[in-house]
Amino acid sequence: MLRIPLLIAAFLLLLLLRSSVFVIDQAEQGIIVQFGEPIGAVITTPGLHWKTPFIQEVRRFDKRLLPWDGDVSQVPTLGREFVLVDTTARFRIKDPLQFLRSVRDEAGARSRIDDILDSVVRDIISGTNLEEIVRSRDWKVDAKVLEEEALPRDDVDLGRPKKGRALLEKEMLAAVTKQMPALGIELVDVRIKRINYIDSVRRQVESRMISERQSIAERFRAEGQGRSQEILGQMERELRSIRSEAERKAAEIRGKADGQATRIYGDTYGADPEFYAFFRTLESYGAMGANTTLMLGADSEYFRYLESTRRRGSAGH
Amino acid sequence: MSSPNEVLDDLLARVRGGGGNRGGRAGPAGPGQPIPWQWIASGVLALLLLWTATSSYYTVQPEERAVIKRFGAVIGTSDPGLHFKLPFGIDDVQLVKTERVLKQEFGFRTLNSAGRRTEYAADALPDESLMLSGDLNIIDVQWVVQYRIEDPMKYLYHQRDPEDTLRDISESVMRRAVGNRLGSEVLTTARVEISDLAQAETQEAMDKYDNGIKVLTVELQDVLPPKAVQPAFNEVNEARQERERMINEATKQANQEIPKAKGEANRAIAESEGYATERVNQARGETARFASILAEYRSAPDVTRTRMYLETMNKVIPSVGAVYVTQDGKTGPIPLLNLQGRLPAAVTNSEGR
Repeated sequence: MLRIPLLIAAFLLLLLLRSSVFVIDQAEQGIIVQFGEPIGAVITTPGLHWKTPFIQEVRRFDKRLLPWDGDVSQVPTLGREFVLVDTTARFRIKDPLQFLRSVRDEAGARSRIDDILDSVVRDIISGTNLEEIVRSRDWKVDAKVLEEEALPRDDVDLGRPKKGRALLEKEMLAAVTKQMPALGIELVDVRIKRINYIDSVRRQVESRMISERQSIAERFRAEGQGRSQEILGQMERELRSIRSEAERKAAEIRGKADGQATRIYGDTYGADPEFYAFFRTLESYGAMGANTTLMLGADSEYFRYLESTRRRGSAGH
Repeated sequence: MSSPNEVLDDLLARVRGGGGNRGGRAGPAGPGQPIPWQWIASGVLALLLLWTATSSYYTVQPEERAVIKRFGAVIGTSDPGLHFKLPFGIDDVQLVKTERVLKQEFGFRTLNSAGRRTEYAADALPDESLMLSGDLNIIDVQWVVQYRIEDPMKYLYHQRDPEDTLRDISESVMRRAVGNRLGSEVLTTARVEISDLAQAETQEAMDKYDNGIKVLTVELQDVLPPKAVQPAFNEVNEARQERERMINEATKQANQEIPKAKGEANRAIAESEGYATERVNQARGETARFASILAEYRSAPDVTRTRMYLETMNKVIPSVGAVYVTQDGKTGPIPLLNLQGRLPAAVTNSEGR
């Protein structure tokens, strides 16, 4: 039964080893703490490390970039619209010693960042118009699109923002960095993740969008009618011009022909107007029909020989 | 907390108990028999060997890369295939899918894309997808970010939860891109620009965090006005169609009537030209006839005059309804022919004689 003490000894040795060797992961950095007091420099190189067993312990901190996600807060903007703002940030534990002293662990750090960032975001958002937060510095309105819409938007100023989103984010970062006491934390960036209207404002905006669309639709319809009338009007104008033009041309042609005919008649008949009158009169007699009554003088040319015939021939006829 | 001794005693008791059971099968083994130390030792050795064997190799799949850590410190990466490492958790392997194109969905979730049709989660995620355009309208934008883990080292050790960060940044960037446009642009023409911009800016942020993620594409999916507003948007489209229809109808009418009117005009002109020709020809003909007669008349005016007069009378009298002869100084005109149809014949007869 000599083996049992041997086993116990081996076990104790293992325990000692276990307590004096520790591993720092690639993602970590560590501080050796003795009775709550940090000892030595921060261990940043990953791998196996030694410490005094039992009386020293290791505090590990993430070396990587860490995310911070803020609460969604309801903030009024400068224009008195209530918006929901959700921010996100990234930070890094830069000075683990300081970090350990001031906030102990990540949960502590987060609650401190929560407090500061929240108030900074509120300050900045409530001092800014919504347009400023939504747009960026390189905002420019495409005039063509605006014309297509052709809507005067009185409620929205379409000008370029003075600061814009990116600059506001920078301001937030600067303000937080300034306000944040020495926590051993480096804040890398602050970003506005989401910004939306609160529900009641959203409904208002939606109904405004609806009426806006309806007015655009109405304009399209009116435009259709207008264009249609315009086209019909142009058509009418063209029709009238075509017809009158034709009438004019026709009249001109007829007139010319009449003139020409008159000239021809004049030229020819002018040679002997007396004979023409005689000739034409005789011709017009030819047009007399059955319901015409002809009165002839007894001494007319026509009866001259009729009488003499009666005198010459017997009365038998 | 139990002391090491107690633990050991407990262990021994268990080993004995187990040995007893095993002994029961091999043969009767009552209490007080010597502990079979050899058996235990060989059993422990076998277990140790098994552990060594299983923990000293690893396989890397074709789409993966492995990062090997020894006591927590990275000592290298390895490519796909079978590899060996130090056992007992001295070497630790982390596999990262570097070759696979991964995606994050915003505003919707794919439930199952294994079947013939991809299924999507029914409920929308308005918090993710609703955003403000530059003219402060609300737009519902759904999009997908496709990315690849380019550098497994950076992915694992430069940032905690890089994917969460990718989501945060993508949402932020998309809202910036949409916020810098008019709502109607976002819905129509600016889609490509927005997705390009979002890709570039998301990549920029990833590069800044140096987290080894390569953003391949940002693809806009459904970009819609909010649900409540959609009917109004449809109304605009309908009105646009109606406008086109009305213009087309008017144009159609114009196209019908103008050529017709032109034809009619040409017809009127042609007709007048016909009239002109006719009129002139008529004049020419009549005057030519007159000229000929005149020429002949001039050679014998008296006879011709009388002949023409008589010929005319000859033609006229038969067709006239009634002829009255009047004589100066006598009362009333004497009807020469009062019975129509018979007496003209007599006249013709007398004339013929």
